[in-house]
Amino acid sequence: MKTSRPFTVLRVSIAAGIYATVALVAAVSTRPPGPTAQVDHGDAVYVGEAVCIACHKTQNNQFMHTQHAIAFRQNPKNQLQAQSCEACHGPGSNHLKDPANPANRTALIGFTREWGTPVEKQTSMCLACHQGSQAMFWPGSTHATQQLSCSDCHNPMAKISATGLLKKPTINETCYTCHQQQRGEFAKHSHMPLPEGKMSCADCHNPHGSPSKALLKADSINELCYTCHTEKRGPFLWEHAPVRDNCLNCHNAHGSNHDKLLTVARPFSCQQCHGNPGHQSTLYHAGNIIGGGAAVSSRVLGRTCQNCHVQVHGSNHPAGARFQR
Amino acid sequence: MNATSWRTTTSSIRQIRIEPDATMKTKLSPGLRRFVSFLGAALVPLAPAAPLGDTAVGTGTVLGNALNPGPDKSRAQDPEWPVAKHTPTGQMFKLPFAVPDVRKAASGWEYSGQVEVGYIGGDADEQSARFQMYQDIDETAYVNNFAFQLRKPESAYTVDLTGGGAGRHDQYYGLQVGRANDWKVKLFFSEIPHVFTDRYRTLWNGIGTSTLTLLPGMTPGGTTPTAADNAAVAAATAREPVTLGLTRKKSGVRLDLSPTQSWKVYASYSLENQKGARPFAAVWGNSGGTAPMEIAESIDYDTQEVLAGIQYTDGLNALNLRFAASIFENQIDTLTFQEPYRIAPAAGVTTVPAAGAYTQGRFDLTPSNDAYNFRAEYTRSMPDFHRGYLTAVVSAGKWRQDDNLIPYMITPNVAQANVTRLPGGNWDSVTALSRRTTDAVIDTRLADLTLSLNPTPALNLKAKARYYETDNNTDPFLSVNPNATYVDTDNTVAGNQSRGLTLDGVTGVWGRPLNDGSGQSILFGTNSNPAGNVAIKSKPYAAEQYRFNAMADYRLNKISSVNATLERDTVERRLRERDRTWDDRLKVGYVNRGLGDSMLRASYEVARRRGTDYVPSHYDEYFSPALVAIPATAGTNVSSWIRMNSGFRSLELADRNQHVVNGRFDTMLAKNLDVGVSGQLKNSNYPNSPSGLTRDDLRSVNLDLNYQPSPRQTIYGFYSHQFGRIRQAAIASGNGNAVIGQPSAFGVITPANAVEIGSAPGGPIFPLLNAWTAGSTDRNHVIGAGLKQDIGKAILNIDYSYTTGRTRIIYTYNVGGAVNAANAPFAGERMPDVATDVSYVDASLRFPLTERLSTRLVYRYQKESIRDWHYRNLDTTPVVLGGNGAAALPTALMLDAGPLNYRVNWYGVMLQLKL
Repeated sequence: MKTSRPFTVLRVSIAAGIYATVALVAAVSTRPPGPTAQVDHGDAVYVGEAVCIACHKTQNNQFMHTQHAIAFRQNPKNQLQAQSCEACHGPGSNHLKDPANPANRTALIGFTREWGTPVEKQTSMCLACHQGSQAMFWPGSTHATQQLSCSDCHNPMAKISATGLLKKPTINETCYTCHQQQRGEFAKHSHMPLPEGKMSCADCHNPHGSPSKALLKADSINELCYTCHTEKRGPFLWEHAPVRDNCLNCHNAHGSNHDKLLTVARPFSCQQCHGNPGHQSTLYHAGNIIGGGAAVSSRVLGRTCQNCHVQVHGSNHPAGARFQR
Repeated sequence: MNATSWRTTTSSIRQIRIEPDATMKTKLSPGLRRFVSFLGAALVPLAPAAPLGDTAVGTGTVLGNALNPGPDKSRAQDPEWPVAKHTPTGQMFKLPFAVPDVRKAASGWEYSGQVEVGYIGGDADEQSARFQMYQDIDETAYVNNFAFQLRKPESAYTVDLTGGGAGRHDQYYGLQVGRANDWKVKLFFSEIPHVFTDRYRTLWNGIGTSTLTLLPGMTPGGTTPTAADNAAVAAATAREPVTLGLTRKKSGVRLDLSPTQSWKVYASYSLENQKGARPFAAVWGNSGGTAPMEIAESIDYDTQEVLAGIQYTDGLNALNLRFAASIFENQIDTLTFQEPYRIAPAAGVTTVPAAGAYTQGRFDLTPSNDAYNFRAEYTRSMPDFHRGYLTAVVSAGKWRQDDNLIPYMITPNVAQANVTRLPGGNWDSVTALSRRTTDAVIDTRLADLTLSLNPTPALNLKAKARYYETDNNTDPFLSVNPNATYVDTDNTVAGNQSRGLTLDGVTGVWGRPLNDGSGQSILFGTNSNPAGNVAIKSKPYAAEQYRFNAMADYRLNKISSVNATLERDTVERRLRERDRTWDDRLKVGYVNRGLGDSMLRASYEVARRRGTDYVPSHYDEYFSPALVAIPATAGTNVSSWIRMNSGFRSLELADRNQHVVNGRFDTMLAKNLDVGVSGQLKNSNYPNSPSGLTRDDLRSVNLDLNYQPSPRQTIYGFYSHQFGRIRQAAIASGNGNAVIGQPSAFGVITPANAVEIGSAPGGPIFPLLNAWTAGSTDRNHVIGAGLKQDIGKAILNIDYSYTTGRTRIIYTYNVGGAVNAANAPFAGERMPDVATDVSYVDASLRFPLTERLSTRLVYRYQKESIRDWHYRNLDTTPVVLGGNGAAALPTALMLDAGPLNYRVNWYGVMLQLKL
């Protein structure tokens, strides 16, 4: 039974192509204003980085090793970037009038809690260059709604992390400062290899926003999982409904007390859906373990149900309707 | 045996060689697949690099390993840096490391770098699978890590090279070359080991290939008596165990171009190979469900991935276009294994061949497949229209595979009762199939539209509509042998079965042999009443999702805001028990950034899922009832027509009420001390699920502490507690049957009501006495602490972590119901607890020897203990005998003895050389 659907991939592709073309034409025809911060700096004017460095030598010693410094100083893309320090902090003339006065902090944009610049203003400065691209979905995203500033995760003043100018040495450590529950999950017996340095939170999530829930980097949970677990993608001759529906029906993506990141130990995990006549609805108990006293059941040993139904993610064998081949 | 023994050992038993095989996949799809392969062949020799993905696209965002999970933290902090400041949330920024020593060459290039080499000893050669799971540490010399940077300020050229674990199976390398703000090329190579078990007692040679042949001492197809087969298997399992695991090796290249300030282009290619073996299982024998044995699945996967995109932004518009292709090839298409037991044809089911003919079985391993996706994202900022913006996303993808199908069985000349094979109708031939290839296709589509407006400076409104679909366009596979007819000596059931039955234009014998000829599930295969549970068609599940939500975010004042989101998420599923479900969700949140030196974030969410009628037994179109009617003759047992307890609800389809509370509080106790507390309370109950998952709860509390009094001292600590609990219920099917004409609690059983009565809780199949419940409770505690302390010129780092997990599963039942009186004393009221404990101490003392040379002494204590009832006594009982002892086929062959506890102390002496 091949379903005939009007919403074919071809038609979608054509529509997408037209959409993209129109969007491009619209984009170009609007005479882009170029990157500018949506911040009113009043009567302040740029003073040049040499003036800044005269007082902030220590900061500059760190900053000069960052990607921002290299780009701004050695190959700026526009006039804003060429302002170097003031590209982010805003024009500094008013700051110079009374630099030591805490009441004069509104004269400059700071990215610390101590400085007190409103988060929206901080973010606006960053988005002047970082709009679109990876940050396409930042406005209205979960992190934006939580009033996070870019500098809640990033520290552009020093190269602390290998990439991304993060506030901590790694992506994971940066995320854990708020997502401590997930850190606890990765510490569990069965976990993804984040503690071993082989994955990061950003392999699955885009902290800058996503049209998918949980800031996923794919259109669905399964599409995300398939990027690494391509062998599970299929489609299979015999499909297993909850597997195709959502990997998280059975697995906890971060970590678990149970093998294979399962949410619940087998066979009880399988029996959350399988209550059919026969062995599927049987209560397997402590007596069924070897030495348990009652008849030993293969359904509580090792991988339990998967001792027989081993192709649980789907079978391509003509006789594999029960996922045994 | 070292950590990679599944590949490197010289023992004839342990050796797992990857050899060419006739069944290896060589089929290439046309067009793009060839282009992708060509591109890969052209670029891979350039590898090694820096991470491949970014936060929006692709995986591979980090390079590292267990010894180097991040940049070298033994470096000194910058002594000149002013006091630590806080993020807007109130968390301290980490004080920066001391700036690198940069040298300048006459050519104008500036360079810096470091390499760390040394030796690791002690217990680093620990072979426990748990210790080796994602790392490859051994007692040996190490090139632990290196990093070099080249900069040419005059031209903005940069070169970065990094790497670590050289020669180990967790090694990594990255190279990035580019010109700041213009272009960059990144190359990388990384390996991830994944050890599954170090206690696998193999019965076979050939692990890693497509054919498993029994070790000497065992006979394919077994011998007589069965006790001799059991003895031969037991003897084989007494040999030294082997390690099963795989290694992922991934290399890739990515090019980023920024031709103008508005346009960016990127393209990447990666190739990943996974090779090794993992515990697998095969059931076989008699009626298809006897004596499962843990064989080893050979793994040799290649995945090629291409990502390419264009990004545009101009201040008003932003556009991302992306194409992705992923080509997966399984180089081992099928797995044939010899089995060591003598089994006879299933009585009354399979007539020939004779006992002893069933010598082997065959799997069709996961098929090669490919996936493509095109995606467009567009945002239009509307500063003059309530400072709004519009975001639109469309995406279309295709997943497909067209693997050659293999015959139902590998055993030749098998004859099923009541079935005549016509020429070409042998079950071990592909001519017995309804088609020769899978020809499976799933199309995915996404359309997502978001409109955001700020009608006042304090108010943000957002509306979102989303459509997502996975449309399975695979023709159902018909489980039928078109080259067979029925013998039809059954005079009581006259009619078309004598010629075979016809459905969807195909006439033949419906159903399939099971597990290589040892049994069958064939309609009329035993020449008696028709069974109602014979699968005759595969089910191409599909789903469409519609999601609409509206959100408002209102700023109460300069420091606080409230937000609310209302959402309806509807999913329409094809071929499921419920056609449509919908989740209604309301979430409210509060953010306050100005509680003195503190910040509070809190939210509450309530959700309610409901749906259309739940039809537990709705698969008739895909089972034998599509071909024949339920028997009407009084006295006929129609229990096989009952497929599900009608009170059972699948967890993803069931009605659900959910409440979620999240809270987070950050505070600065002092200028150099901050504390964070967070927690979650999540309760889900399934109010209309008499059976199935009935409750799913989670609670967590977390505490963080960070103290940075000076660049010479840093202290941190954390604690997390998690409590998770699920409850489920079921009714064990009893010994009762649904028999036409017999009375039941719901009336006399007739063909019209047999399925309804038979599947009803309290009916003859599911008596209420057999009801049982189970509850699984996970408790976890994680505590950690660390110190970085300068001691004169030396720098001391200490990290400690302890994780404990306990899972308790309790159950309730009626004695004489789900558990009989004889077994009740053994069953008790719970399973033994699953207990896991992991702890480690890492210590590192670094002190300079010269201006450019330092030494680092490293010590690690690591301990892990596991107590898991799944593996209890499997180490001593690989051949699990049943009630009839060694004279009968075993209950199971459990060849993986499970994880072992370990405790290691290892040390390292490292030298760090600065360039």
